[in-house]
Amino acid sequence: MKNFFKSIGNYFKEFGTAIAKGDIGVKLSLLIMGAGYIARKQIINGLIMIALEAVFVVMCVFYAAPNLAKFGTLGTVQFEQKFDPLTMTSTVNDYDNSFLILLNSIIALFIIVAFILVYIGNIKAVYRLQLRKEAGKHINTFREDIRSLFNEKFNITLLTLPCLGIILMNIIPILVLIAVAFTNYDQQHMPPSALFTWVGWRNFKQLFTNSTTVTFGYAFGKVLVWTLEWAFFATFTTFIGGILMAQFVNSKNTKLPRLWRTLFMVAIAVPQFVTLLLVRNFFGDSGIVNTICANIGLTDFLKGIGLVGSHLTYIPFLTNPNWTKVMIVLINIWVGVPYQMLIATGVLMNIPTDQLESARIDGANKFQIFWKITMPYILFIMGPTLVTDFVKNINNFNVIYLLTQDVYVTSNQLLANSNAKEVDLLVTWLFRLTNEYYNYKIASVIGILVFIICAAFTLITFTQMIKGNREEDFQ
Amino acid sequence: MKKKVLATLLATSMIAATLAGCGNSGAGETTTPDNSTTTNDNAAADNTTTDNAAADNNAASDASDPVSTLIANTTGTVSLTVWASEEDQTLTTTLIDNFKAEYADVDFDITLGSESESTAKDTILTDVEAAADVFAFADDQINELVQAGALQEVAATYTLDVANENAAGAVEAATVGGKLYAYPMTADNGYFMFYDASVFTEDDVKSLDAMLEAADAAGKKVAMDMANGWYLYAFFQGAGYDLSLNDDGSNNCTWNASGATDVAQAIMDACETGTLVQMNDEQQATAITEGTVAAAVNGTWRAETASDAWGDNYAATKLPTFTVAGNQVQMSSYSGYKLIGVNPHSANVGWAMLLAEFLTNEDSQTARFEARGLGPANIAAAASDAVQADPAIAALAEQAAYATPQRVGGNFWAPAETLGQILASGNPDGTDVQTLLDTAVEGITAPIE
Repeated sequence: MKNFFKSIGNYFKEFGTAIAKGDIGVKLSLLIMGAGYIARKQIINGLIMIALEAVFVVMCVFYAAPNLAKFGTLGTVQFEQKFDPLTMTSTVNDYDNSFLILLNSIIALFIIVAFILVYIGNIKAVYRLQLRKEAGKHINTFREDIRSLFNEKFNITLLTLPCLGIILMNIIPILVLIAVAFTNYDQQHMPPSALFTWVGWRNFKQLFTNSTTVTFGYAFGKVLVWTLEWAFFATFTTFIGGILMAQFVNSKNTKLPRLWRTLFMVAIAVPQFVTLLLVRNFFGDSGIVNTICANIGLTDFLKGIGLVGSHLTYIPFLTNPNWTKVMIVLINIWVGVPYQMLIATGVLMNIPTDQLESARIDGANKFQIFWKITMPYILFIMGPTLVTDFVKNINNFNVIYLLTQDVYVTSNQLLANSNAKEVDLLVTWLFRLTNEYYNYKIASVIGILVFIICAAFTLITFTQMIKGNREEDFQ
Repeated sequence: MKKKVLATLLATSMIAATLAGCGNSGAGETTTPDNSTTTNDNAAADNTTTDNAAADNNAASDASDPVSTLIANTTGTVSLTVWASEEDQTLTTTLIDNFKAEYADVDFDITLGSESESTAKDTILTDVEAAADVFAFADDQINELVQAGALQEVAATYTLDVANENAAGAVEAATVGGKLYAYPMTADNGYFMFYDASVFTEDDVKSLDAMLEAADAAGKKVAMDMANGWYLYAFFQGAGYDLSLNDDGSNNCTWNASGATDVAQAIMDACETGTLVQMNDEQQATAITEGTVAAAVNGTWRAETASDAWGDNYAATKLPTFTVAGNQVQMSSYSGYKLIGVNPHSANVGWAMLLAEFLTNEDSQTARFEARGLGPANIAAAASDAVQADPAIAALAEQAAYATPQRVGGNFWAPAETLGQILASGNPDGTDVQTLLDTAVEGITAPIE
């Protein structure tokens, strides 16, 4: 933290020195960005900077200013259209599109911040040129500058494209998402026909308060608890299952290990979309599994011990909340174990054999070897993947959505009033809120919370894991 | 996004230019006629019915006939996108070809996309400006589409008198707040009852109680999807409890008023017998084929399965009556229509409207019935003997007296689904029935900010 503030301090200090001690070229650069370069005879650099400044000014006037002017209200002119029955054409007024204003404003703000950074960097760069000149050192020509981008500064060249991609594909959409959480963007306020506007923290308050009519708070609590339960069970069942499977397949006593390994891989090769929808039908109330269970008397047996309601003629695999939760975790084992098995196989092959050997000589049995040597080793290597798996499971959309959509009907009225179900993860709830109910504002709030939960969990566990010298513990 | 803004700007400037062009010829100065004086005649027909407009101003003849004005003003290719359901592709292609032939002077570039009527709203609302110019949709989506500004008001008609040539119910379904917003295409999207005539007599199917007795005697089931607000409505509306839509998109619902518990009790009692079973559409398809279900409340889309399974014994009729506190009450239903809408963001609104009219005129509706068996909304097309002989369409016509168009806001579905589920499974938690209804109504009527 300290270093962070220090480096920021240094950054502005350098800028101050550059302005204070700079000569006329540097000072003129404050106004005309290319001046400093031109003063050092770097004409092309200077022209590029001037062009950049000109483009920026034009952008500000024609793009940033009109959008940012409306940023405070997100537009005031409602879409209006007049149809002329005689000419059969319609005229549209010059309306505001709140979403475009929001998006363009954020892009404009981004460009402005980027420009300020370039601007400061430019002053510093020309000051550095001045220092070089005063020290009598060589000043690069344009061609030398370009060449340096392919040699000593090649990392900059390589990183430019990915960085641009991340800004366009990740950062700007995330900023828009965060902004939407503070607006009333929903089905009643959908551009282009209607405007939406800022509402402050209202959506967050709505998600954390509970009234008789608005049950978002109640639903959020329920869904969050199940999300964490699910992430925990899904992660550990597949993890342990994967290790055991790998252990069994790799065991010397197993015949045809490759065949078994390949068979498990088949489960990965078939798209989840297909398998899960099929499984959903198998376990349906009138599905094949229920037919079999009824025929062999399992349904009646479960009824007898009270696991199935007496009024039912089938096992509610995917229609009763508790049954469904258990089934989802079980089905997920089947879907997720092959992946974990693949990873565990790799780890198992790398266990130092001398340790296993010496343990065996000391008289340890197989079980002891597994718990005392293999498991700690695997946990040490696979700890980070466990963390990422947990986070991945918090957002595991496929399994839950494909297994329960169109089949599961909640019988909890309070959840239903918020369009949630007992088996919803935060992410599936979010999906249905946006996709079926166009409630973008609440969905954005949930999105932000999911992000915070995942980020906090990852940060805490990773720092815990890296803390201390764990490698020696293991040795 | 940027491109779209540009496109809109371009379109606006083009429209402005067109208007300016009209101004020069003098027609632009004429006042816009009221909706009541719109021209309803075929473009090809003489323009005698447009006297009103002609009398008001002595403009050139092309100004008094909007369609020929439009043709004259159209330069270059007219690009239109049309969305029709997957099953309707072949027929729509033919109809579009006929449309092109009808206006042979104009150069068209019409793209046909596939979009189910039942999910049209979801796709359109994602980005209204990117949606098709002309699209088919189910009438239950009309409120949300109008609210989102995705439907061009049918302020004037040109080749087809939409309001008078179609059945009153269909026109009502296409009307929001007194304004017509869409062109009725079919009138068979509601639900009715079909049954196996070897199990039920014509008297049996008049009341649910008699049906359940007959089904029980034959060892068969009666299927209905109560865990779906769309069907659950039949009971409550039938017994006179209201569900309606407010202007702000929230609902008004009296399903918890005094006496409504009797309706809930009636549903539970019927399900308690084990003969009335709650099954969704997919499950009904399986059960009908397997032969366990001998009667179902569903729509034309599932009637085909039943007619295949039961052959000559396949029969259809209105929904039965059910017993509420000792009285027989006729079940209501949602009437369903498929409509064609025009996107107000279309660059060629005029042509889009003409195409929508063409796709829903009498000939097209007849062709649609002949090709796909879909019941016409057009009065003349529906009067034909072939249509009258179709059991499903006849049943829908019979049910029409008790049906209402679907006018309900999005907050209805999830609470109603859960209420239906609880009632169909016999209220397993034993919650007080009045509390059940109160909670459901709270969710249904939740305010919209």
